[in-house]
Amino acid sequence: MDTNKITEKTTSFKINGKLIELTLPPTFRLVDILRDCLALTGTKIACEVGRCGACSVIMNGKLVNSCLIMAYQIEDAEIFSIESLAEDRLHPIQEAFLQAGALQCGYCTPGMVMALKSLLDEKEQPTKEEVLTALSGNLCRCTGYEGILRAVDLLTQKN
Amino acid sequence: MVLDITSAGVRWKKRRDGEPKVTGKLKYLTDMVFPQMLYGAILRSEHPHAKIESIDTKEAEDLTGVTAIITYKDVPGLNGFGIVIQDQPVFCVDKVRYVGDAIAAVAAETKEIAQKAISLIKVTYSPLQTVTDPELALDKSAVKLHKGGNLLHKAAFKKGEAKLEEVFNRCAIIVEESYHTPRQMHVYMETEGGVAVPDEDGGLTIYAPTQHGFKDQLQLSRILDIIPEKIRIISSPIGGSFGGKDELNIQPYISILALKTKRPVKIHQSRRVSIKAGLKRHPMKIFMKTGSDESGNLIAHQVKIIADTGAYATLGPAVLDFAVEHSAGPYRIENVEVEGYSVYTNNGVAGEFRGFGGNQITFALETQMERIAEKSGINPTELRLKNLRQTMDLGPVEQQIVPTDGAKAVLTEIIKSPILQKNTATIPSGQWKIKGRGYSITMHGGGLGYGRPDPSGARLSLNSAGKLEVSFGFEECGQGLIPTIDMIMTETFNCDSSDVAIVIGDTAKVPHSGSSTASRGTNMVWLGIAKLKAAFIEKMLNAAEKQTNMTKEKLSLGKSGIWFCEQPEKPQRLILTYRELATSLEELPTVFTSYHFPTTPHAIDGGHFLYTFAGVAAEVEVDLLTGRVAVTKMDHVISAGPVVNPMGYLGQIEGGANMGLGFTLMEDAVMENGRYMTENLDTYLIPTILDIPKETNVFAIEGLVNGDTYGPRGVGEIGTVAVAPAIVSAIHDATGLWLNRLPVQADAILKAIEQKALIG
Repeated sequence: MDTNKITEKTTSFKINGKLIELTLPPTFRLVDILRDCLALTGTKIACEVGRCGACSVIMNGKLVNSCLIMAYQIEDAEIFSIESLAEDRLHPIQEAFLQAGALQCGYCTPGMVMALKSLLDEKEQPTKEEVLTALSGNLCRCTGYEGILRAVDLLTQKN
Repeated sequence: MVLDITSAGVRWKKRRDGEPKVTGKLKYLTDMVFPQMLYGAILRSEHPHAKIESIDTKEAEDLTGVTAIITYKDVPGLNGFGIVIQDQPVFCVDKVRYVGDAIAAVAAETKEIAQKAISLIKVTYSPLQTVTDPELALDKSAVKLHKGGNLLHKAAFKKGEAKLEEVFNRCAIIVEESYHTPRQMHVYMETEGGVAVPDEDGGLTIYAPTQHGFKDQLQLSRILDIIPEKIRIISSPIGGSFGGKDELNIQPYISILALKTKRPVKIHQSRRVSIKAGLKRHPMKIFMKTGSDESGNLIAHQVKIIADTGAYATLGPAVLDFAVEHSAGPYRIENVEVEGYSVYTNNGVAGEFRGFGGNQITFALETQMERIAEKSGINPTELRLKNLRQTMDLGPVEQQIVPTDGAKAVLTEIIKSPILQKNTATIPSGQWKIKGRGYSITMHGGGLGYGRPDPSGARLSLNSAGKLEVSFGFEECGQGLIPTIDMIMTETFNCDSSDVAIVIGDTAKVPHSGSSTASRGTNMVWLGIAKLKAAFIEKMLNAAEKQTNMTKEKLSLGKSGIWFCEQPEKPQRLILTYRELATSLEELPTVFTSYHFPTTPHAIDGGHFLYTFAGVAAEVEVDLLTGRVAVTKMDHVISAGPVVNPMGYLGQIEGGANMGLGFTLMEDAVMENGRYMTENLDTYLIPTILDIPKETNVFAIEGLVNGDTYGPRGVGEIGTVAVAPAIVSAIHDATGLWLNRLPVQADAILKAIEQKALIG
């Protein structure tokens, strides 16, 4: 293609523990790298302005909206997407989501799980306020969030 | 019973479709890619109302990587769609009527090239006067948007004395108000999208969310001018819909492009495009005049509804019929006169959305009830009880309905909510905050209603893999159709989830079951399996008898296979697995049934037969400095028959409630002169986890009147219908202010606070 031909650059980063090297335009978005280049479609796309959290991933230990991160920002970064959580068995957060009825259509779920993981990695027993703040960047239209809070209660043994 | 994990006990089951959702492994239809796939994009109108002078695609065609560009000239069949009335052009020919109207579409090698190509198409417009006020649109002098004028549909209902004005003259109390409701957006998290894959003999497979696969098949067959059988619709799973994906969206474009290019074509709309093009909830202006005698008996009720249906019909007529039908809700009023108008404008298209006109009318009706109670000095509960429908009463439009005591049951129960107890001290949580409490009730029809074909079908078989395969033409959009089918199957046949295979959402494999809308899925699944149960067991046991040489009277279906039981109901041992049975048979047992959603015998268009009921209690906290309202507690009482799937039921009520909270306090896709003032989720705000009540309880009343054999009703909509008036009533309790316009505006509240000198 010859439209908007821009200089591409080789970018290397780690995704879910695996070293990846891709040649990309510097403004190519992380969400597209994940979904289109790497077929990691667990990361969803829903607003593309960093408001809904459906594309949340953990980058260098911090929760980010992958629609707002561009290729030039991920050089040498360590990124974890939803696909990294379950290995032989489900991650406790995933298990709690199933047990609590924390999902319906499931489209926000990967982002929501990553946001909660980011919080719980930092603090095992967060306060209710901390939970609400940490998840306030992730929109869910189906559950009304009650089920998600049930899952948090199961994880933090407050039930 | 209070519905929660504890009360549900062993019936609280993890969703069988849950694991691929929490792991991100589930491929939604918008996640799919195919070899040789092209990307599509749709050029939508720049103007809300304009003449198209010319469309020049030359420059776009010359762009490298562009494979096809299509306009109205490329529509093989009918250039129109719409579930009932096909008045929405696939591509506009000479005129655009709203900012989402499609003019051209492109298929290209990459998303970027497709977008670039769209920007290179030159359309010259002559803007026309826009029609944005539905009341003005009805004026004779108004510009006509469609050949038949601007009135899409008129609906009316009248009972009692011919001259209602004379009855009003006899009323001791009259409340006359106008209510306004917002253009709420569905905000399904997965925007519209999908892939069309052409096959070798001119047919297509469409992978795109919809709430009625066979309806898409029919609509596309008209547009593409090919027989329905050559179009296969795969419509599930769906990342949320709430009614919004019931109508066609991107399907015509990917289909035509795929046929033209002979390659798979994908479109996944951005949120910006979704907002411009997608359906919304009908904004309604509702005039209501209600009169009672001195003791609070309602004797006159006059309602006029103006619904802004936007540029095209979709299900606008049915939504209006629903609002008209529910204008007096669960109350029996002697003299009623309702007129409704669904009006075309150049605003975005309004259509089907959870609650289906019920949310708007219930807000008006329940606020009227509270106002009458206040004006007459009668306790609002007493007023409601006085006028409430009784078990054997006719339905709201004087049609025969299934006898129900749901109205009284939810009222009796909701007033017991701890939120509403007067001994609850009003302790402000901060110096500048006051609390208020209120409640409301509603009734809501299920199914499509009289005069609308509402058939369903179900198939049950032992498949070759040894699973009890059950099949419906429904879709899983998150509501929990799959776990509900799973629970009904395992409880009907005493089997395990792993014994069951569920086939849905694929027109090549499923029977016609009608749409996954109108709170009908659960009821239709329950009825279908109930109808097939005896015949299926009979066939299975006949086959098992031959295999085992044991009398079928001593055999039964159970976990993993056929069980032997010396005494009835006491299975002793598994003697034949389903798999063994399947491999031993030449012809696998299959049963099929078709049936209809239960419908009233009375010929009243859209009149329903089965109703659900809800009561909602809300506690709010009003910030005296900002006028901001927070809902701190909500309780819900639902009467919808037996709870099939406790997790799903609870989730529907909780989710519906917070969608209702958004409708009441924050959501409105504001339009100015036919253009959306909001482009994305940074300005169209829906409730986040910080906005929901600190405490929510759901109480399910499972009992039905003796002799009611219609089983569990669907609860997809009922949780959202009565939320607004409960919150508005609670705001009134706190501030003394009655609000007629949603979403609630902080400045209206501040004004009331100033007037009442609540501060200082």
